[in-house]
Amino acid sequence: MLERLKELCLLNGASGDEARVREFIRMNIRADKVFKDNLGNLIAFKKGRKSPKHKIMFAAHMDEVGFMITDADEDGFLSFGAVGGINPAVTLGRGVTLESGASGVIGTKAIHQQSSDERKKIPDFGDLYIDIGAAFREEAEQLAPRGSYAYFDADFFEFGDGFVKGKAIDDRAGCLVMMDLINDGPEYDAWYAFTVQEEVGTRGAKAAAFTVAPDIAVVLETTTACDVAGVSGARRVCELGKGAVVSFMDRSTVYDRGLYSLAFETAKANGIPVQTKTLVAGGNDSGAIHVSAGGVRTCAISVPCRYLHSPSCVIKMSDFEAVKALAELMLSAVGEL
Amino acid sequence: MDIKAALKALTEETGVSGDEFSASRKVAELLTQYADGVSVDDFGNVTGFIKCGRPNAKTLLLDAHIDSVGLIVTYIDEKGFLSVGTCGSPDIKTYLAQSVTVHGKRAVQGVVSALPPHVSKDNKAPEIGDISIDVGITKEQAEEVISLGDRVTVNSRFRELCGSLISAPAVDDRSGVCAILEALDILKGKSLRYDLAVCFSAQEETGSRGAKQAAFRIQADEAIAVDVSFGRTPDSDPKETAMLGSGVMIGFSPCLDKGMSNALRELAKRCNIPFTSEVMPDLTSTNTDEIAVAGKGAKCCTLSFPIRYMHTSVETVDLNDISATARLIAEYAGGVANA
Repeated sequence: MLERLKELCLLNGASGDEARVREFIRMNIRADKVFKDNLGNLIAFKKGRKSPKHKIMFAAHMDEVGFMITDADEDGFLSFGAVGGINPAVTLGRGVTLESGASGVIGTKAIHQQSSDERKKIPDFGDLYIDIGAAFREEAEQLAPRGSYAYFDADFFEFGDGFVKGKAIDDRAGCLVMMDLINDGPEYDAWYAFTVQEEVGTRGAKAAAFTVAPDIAVVLETTTACDVAGVSGARRVCELGKGAVVSFMDRSTVYDRGLYSLAFETAKANGIPVQTKTLVAGGNDSGAIHVSAGGVRTCAISVPCRYLHSPSCVIKMSDFEAVKALAELMLSAVGEL
Repeated sequence: MDIKAALKALTEETGVSGDEFSASRKVAELLTQYADGVSVDDFGNVTGFIKCGRPNAKTLLLDAHIDSVGLIVTYIDEKGFLSVGTCGSPDIKTYLAQSVTVHGKRAVQGVVSALPPHVSKDNKAPEIGDISIDVGITKEQAEEVISLGDRVTVNSRFRELCGSLISAPAVDDRSGVCAILEALDILKGKSLRYDLAVCFSAQEETGSRGAKQAAFRIQADEAIAVDVSFGRTPDSDPKETAMLGSGVMIGFSPCLDKGMSNALRELAKRCNIPFTSEVMPDLTSTNTDEIAVAGKGAKCCTLSFPIRYMHTSVETVDLNDISATARLIAEYAGGVANA
């Protein structure tokens, strides 16, 4: 399980550049019907042992946050922008990999040369640059043309008491749960949308939801956990080690109350740890899916994740297992509705 | 000597100020090929000696520091998160969500944690007290493998960029160590003008403390400290930085010996070694500040080369600058061109 998550996370696939992830998934699922739509969403149908009354769709996004090269200066330094929401702080002092395979780093002038104001401020992306060691503009443009992507060059490892650290766990974790659902022989027929461009506004999910036209959708995601030093009470949002996260509301969706309750009841009845978010924050593909066509009853089941949108997303594998178990049981539960 | 391979081997060792032994042992191993009496002292300073064989020869000390900036564990909280302090002056802004290793009884992997934006009041850069290390274990589990005072380093890696540029952690000052080793390699079997003493010193980043001790013991007549300086980046002041690839930077300062600085500059010109002059109208903020006044005192000069992103885990250097520095040291110590 861990090895496949690692393989998925180490693939580079920012919004609009999901091909590597898509091909990996396509090669590793045994579905009855699989196709790529015009945006690049990978849509699969898997027959179950039974047919549900309602059309069910699972969704998880393939894309991750990353960078796009916008320019090169005469000394060979690259300007870039963020693809998706990245705090510039998590790019400082980091290595990146260019689409061409070249290595680069992101830094600023030395701490010794920063004014006291500069020391206190996180620079904006407009002030940052990627250094690939190119000596002049043409050399830089050859290795990093305008519009090409760059990615965090981040390690992936297991640490502590069952924790995992890596880039792109958001939302390759969800993708892996869907791949397992398909391959494990599900109880009910269902559609599975591996979506593109979630990080730039849940754009892939809009098209996928229209195409599949489900009655019920279950979005598999990762969600912000702030259970770190110095944060207490509701501001922790949710916690690692406390199981799957089922949200009642976030910035993009007020979730279907019935499905929310069904998820909690199902988890409790089966001894699966489950929690909710104590802050209305974040958003995911549900925002696009639940308002698709005439409306789709939607719920989201997420793996709590620390340091989202950084090269060091951290999850606990027991929470991942809880999401996987609950997703499978939810298919059966909504199949019976 | 293969400078790139030596730099890779050296930057893969950890040696945060005050706990340099892993790096010191590696350096001692490399120095043994060139020098006699190589030893690592109680502080982590590595010294070795090469006699020129002339009676009454003067002693030239070649110094580079072996330590690097990093973090030190100061507290383990009730949930197992580690508070940290700094060794030297790392740029704390570069630590958010970094992948790190805590050098405890065993290597413990972790991630740097900080208050997320929705919780912290503003988007100010974190200070050292705002970050902690998430090691994913309870306080009790942490206390079994981690002790207060353990060092923490970023899990960066050795990266080859375009041309002869390398990015790696601890390039400050392992690349200076490489320059001296390369100089010794050039001088191997050649006649020397000086008895050479080599010191790869500990605790430079916390105030040149290792060099102070070693220089007192060595009592050199002259000393060259090889350290890194500021490389040009788009956001830096051209007056305060040198271009990578511009060669060795020869120090001029009231605290340095003017005769030595001039001699090194003339030598660089004569030997066609690319160089720039680095003018420091006050102290040099290198080990020469201490070496010059250790014991009876020594004439000193700094030889530097520019690096980008100093005190981060992606310090970037041009191998050609290390090579130019090594050639100038070799010319000065041995007079290779004249031999």
